[in-house]
Amino acid sequence: MEIVEIIRRCKSGENEAWKMMIHSYSKAIYNIALNFIADRDEAADITQEIFVKVYNNIAKFKEEGNFTSWLLMLSRNYCIDYWRKHKKHMHKVEMDDTIHADAPNPEEVQVKQSEIARLREKMLQLDPDLRLFLTMKDIEDLSYEEIADHLKVPIGTVKSRINRARIKLAQLVVQAGSEHGMSRN
Amino acid sequence: MECREIEELLSAYIEGKLAAVPRRAVDAHMLACPTCAGLRDSLIQLICDLPDLHEEVPFFLQNRLLQISERTERRRPHPFFFPKWVAATVGTLILFLNLFYFTNIFPLANRGLHSAVSKVEQLIAKTDGFLEKIKESKDMLLYTFFNKKPAEEKINEEKKGISLKAIEQGGKNG
Repeated sequence: MEIVEIIRRCKSGENEAWKMMIHSYSKAIYNIALNFIADRDEAADITQEIFVKVYNNIAKFKEEGNFTSWLLMLSRNYCIDYWRKHKKHMHKVEMDDTIHADAPNPEEVQVKQSEIARLREKMLQLDPDLRLFLTMKDIEDLSYEEIADHLKVPIGTVKSRINRARIKLAQLVVQAGSEHGMSRN
Repeated sequence: MECREIEELLSAYIEGKLAAVPRRAVDAHMLACPTCAGLRDSLIQLICDLPDLHEEVPFFLQNRLLQISERTERRRPHPFFFPKWVAATVGTLILFLNLFYFTNIFPLANRGLHSAVSKVEQLIAKTDGFLEKIKESKDMLLYTFFNKKPAEEKINEEKKGISLKAIEQGGKNG
């Protein structure tokens, strides 16, 4: 079913259509929030708040074709507002220490998880907008054109911001790696 | 090419979206500059690692999201649109008008408000007289064309009738 049809049915209050909407968009929104805030519980709360807003305001939404843009803009604004309110408390990144007993190589899994946690922690040091652009491009795998179209930003700006975000993050990771190595020695 | 220029082209270079001429320039720079070459390698590694940050939506969240449609009562647009800032402005205006009317903080404003209020009172007095005239003329028209007596007159007559009956009855009884 196309998104236009899903939205039309959501407006008329069909639960099935709402389920389809959640299945289509929840992963993207959750991942944007997670990589923006770097905390699973808060990312879940943010995702829920965003979808409550969507549910309450979907009747006002006119241009069905631009629903993805509308949703991404809504998420971006919500995440940035949330960040501004809570940034003082966001320095530590939780480690996922749940390693399944049946994992092929628990040590390897643990190393990977600590790498992911370190990368997330470094992402928090990027500007909010750079973090968001980088998440959309390299984690959510959207194209430059899609990001520019959804966020109503010129494509040149999108490319330069993503390039800047990658360079900054790479430098932070390298710096952290060398500090880590020095502390080991 | 300088390192700063190379940095600006780095993503396009890694993604293979650079034209032949700038690509050759970046290649040449990379051979000569170990810092930029290191940055390129880190960037390639980063682009490979970033997709690992993608996670599935937790089951509990999926459930919470699905229940939104059942638990949340959809807000209906208010039939009468009255922006908050208008309400705040009107409230503040009323507050200040009261302050200027009942106190003498700004004598000029106080005098102006009192004269405005007296004008309004005069207008109301005039309007009252006008309304009275309209009412009278309406009664006249009704009486002339439809032979209907005004409601007040009817009531008076009824009262009169009742009192006459009472007098008569009182006379009979003694």
